[in-house]
Amino acid sequence: MKKLLKHISPLAPDDSGACSVLYELGGIVVICDAGGCAGNVCGFDEPRWHTKRSALFSAGLRDMDAILGRDDRLVEKLVKVCGQVEGEFAAIIGTPVPAVIATDFKALGRMTEKRAGLPCITIETDGTKLYDHGEEMTYLRVFKRFAVDKYEVKKGRLGVIGATPLNTGLCRADKLKEKLGSDRWTDIVCFGLDSGLDDIRRASECEMILVISPSGIKTAEYLNEAFGTPYEVGFPRLYEPAEKASESMNGKRVLVVHQQFAANELRTHFTGCEVDCATWFKLDKRYAQQNDFFIDGEETLTEMIAERGYDVIFADPDIRRMLGGFGGKFIDFPHYAISAAMNE
Amino acid sequence: MNKAYYITAGKLSARGFDDLPDELVSTKHMIYSSPATLDFNSPGAKGFGVKRAGLAIPGSVMLLISPGCCGRNTALLNELGYNEKFFYLLLDDTDIVTGRYLSKIPQACEELCAELDYTPSAIMLCCTCVDALLGTDMERVCRSVTERTGVASVPAYMYALTREKRIPPMGLARKSIYSLLEPQKRRSNECAIIGFFSALEDGCEIYPILRAAGIKKFHEIGRCKTFEEYKEISRANFSLVLNSEARYAAQDMQERLGMPFIELTRLYRIDKIQNMYRLLGQAIGAKLDDTEYYSEARAAIDGFIAKHGRLNIAVGECIDADPFELALALVEYGFNVREIYGTVGERNFVFIRKLAEVSPETRIYSNLSPTMMNYERDIPLDCAVGNDALYYHRDVPGVGFNDEAQPFGYRGIVLLMSELDRAIEENRQIAEVGK
Repeated sequence: MKKLLKHISPLAPDDSGACSVLYELGGIVVICDAGGCAGNVCGFDEPRWHTKRSALFSAGLRDMDAILGRDDRLVEKLVKVCGQVEGEFAAIIGTPVPAVIATDFKALGRMTEKRAGLPCITIETDGTKLYDHGEEMTYLRVFKRFAVDKYEVKKGRLGVIGATPLNTGLCRADKLKEKLGSDRWTDIVCFGLDSGLDDIRRASECEMILVISPSGIKTAEYLNEAFGTPYEVGFPRLYEPAEKASESMNGKRVLVVHQQFAANELRTHFTGCEVDCATWFKLDKRYAQQNDFFIDGEETLTEMIAERGYDVIFADPDIRRMLGGFGGKFIDFPHYAISAAMNE
Repeated sequence: MNKAYYITAGKLSARGFDDLPDELVSTKHMIYSSPATLDFNSPGAKGFGVKRAGLAIPGSVMLLISPGCCGRNTALLNELGYNEKFFYLLLDDTDIVTGRYLSKIPQACEELCAELDYTPSAIMLCCTCVDALLGTDMERVCRSVTERTGVASVPAYMYALTREKRIPPMGLARKSIYSLLEPQKRRSNECAIIGFFSALEDGCEIYPILRAAGIKKFHEIGRCKTFEEYKEISRANFSLVLNSEARYAAQDMQERLGMPFIELTRLYRIDKIQNMYRLLGQAIGAKLDDTEYYSEARAAIDGFIAKHGRLNIAVGECIDADPFELALALVEYGFNVREIYGTVGERNFVFIRKLAEVSPETRIYSNLSPTMMNYERDIPLDCAVGNDALYYHRDVPGVGFNDEAQPFGYRGIVLLMSELDRAIEENRQIAEVGK
């Protein structure tokens, strides 16, 4: 059964992805839930929770709020919190509860803007999709809403989209910047990681955008269309032990499992190998090779491994649990969105 | 930016329970995910939430039926060895709209049984807010699973939406885990202790006190290693309910198994503990001798105060205690409780009234208030008790006092004083090395 997970825990969901993008932007972020979803985000998917302060709250919905559709109460609470903590904007993140009762997020956003006097963006995540879907939606909403003015392009300024802990396993931008810094790129901004809303407002100053996860592609396309900013894709900082191990795989048939751009980057480090990439998340065909594949369930992965006879698998350590019959070599290539393992 | 909201015990008591400030009423504001809230909302992280509690039946496994987001943090329980007990049937939006997933649950259970190299004693079906809103008849789904797999199936309702209802999710979880017990001949010298998912701390005086009164065997789910041991619980002549959230389970056991129950409360006020044992003795028709344990607890308190003085203390709610009752006890022993981080309810308001009489300036904060993200200490403090208090005051010594082994009665006081003493001593030694 495709949707039955027998070996691994569920992967980071779309609402976690949305929160990850918004976390450092200085907004008041409300997860429209009963409490459990916010607990999952703050207690698990957001490693910055204990080190960087963010106004991220649960709406604390109760059954009668859902049954009676008491959106006015939610807005009331949001207005109240706007008077208690500072925020440049408000954001409302969807979860299964508003999805089941078909909450009108647009109306909720309008009501909030009117009452709270703050710009409000709404993200209709429902907890059934994966983090990259939530990230994609949120990046696009945020940039379309705030990156609207054309600024003069600053030579050497590189903007990075996709730098969330879920994609990179990093809570700070310094290591990414260190890898990317060069004579050409002297001024690097990782949107949403050690950087706030103002950098997004001034996104058109970037000479180029580097997209490090498929979740950032649509936003890069928007910036290209709106301001003519070119973009490239890549992944600047791999997990070092995996990168090192890739150098000694000559002649092997290798499978790399990660988010697509991280997997693609690792593929460039192999020599003399046949390397396929696979992902549980978005697989953009424009950046895929012929044998790359999307994993839609535990069975798909185990069947493909058996069918193609890989010698070596580079994947998150949690994946090891589902590979009981695999006789080859397994190399850890952690992905926060799977096992919540950091890459620091 | 507002400072963290608090109200003193004196002012709160004067307002009364019917006039609580909005910041102390969780339905009237957004919820801040403070460490205490995480303990509450994300119990996959530690302690017993519905998921872990549901697996208290030895040999059981759990199928979580939900959108992926609900099961995400369950991975935290892997460290405790639960990774082979959890399975997930993920729902997509079409599943939710059509309800088609309900017919797949028996097949999923069959597949998970085939995956195991043993037959589970039970399959717990854990459902979430989605099923709460859809009104799913989980009892019926459980019957279908049992028919298909031959394994008993029990619902575990992880309904965060109904947290403030008369029977909250953890009350239902307690009922579920005892629901597989069957009536059998009861033995007059056996007693069940219910309320916690893990066992009482081994040194708890309740065992020798009741043994002296003729009880030969204690049944606790947290000590059951096998399903057979679990089934023996229904042999008990009566049950002691140590947590009010287990009352519903006890009522169900009384109805189904004919097992009466006596409700006790975890207290830290030594005289109230003494009174509790006196009343328990009356209820079971025996005179319980607790003199030795009373003296030991009294000596622990007096010894601690003689050594450390009347400390300024902050008390949190991520602790094996009601924070208001514990604060009241500490004040009565002579300490200065400066701050309490807790959730005010009807049951514990009685302690706040008493606290107002003896320590009216004690500040009461709500961990759930959004203003707590601005919390900064502005009072002198010597130590903190409770994981949340420790989080707010990382620079002072303290104890989480929130372990698996459950403290109770006089033993709770002795353990608290001893752990606090150790923490203060360690802190002192570190400070001396630093000099």
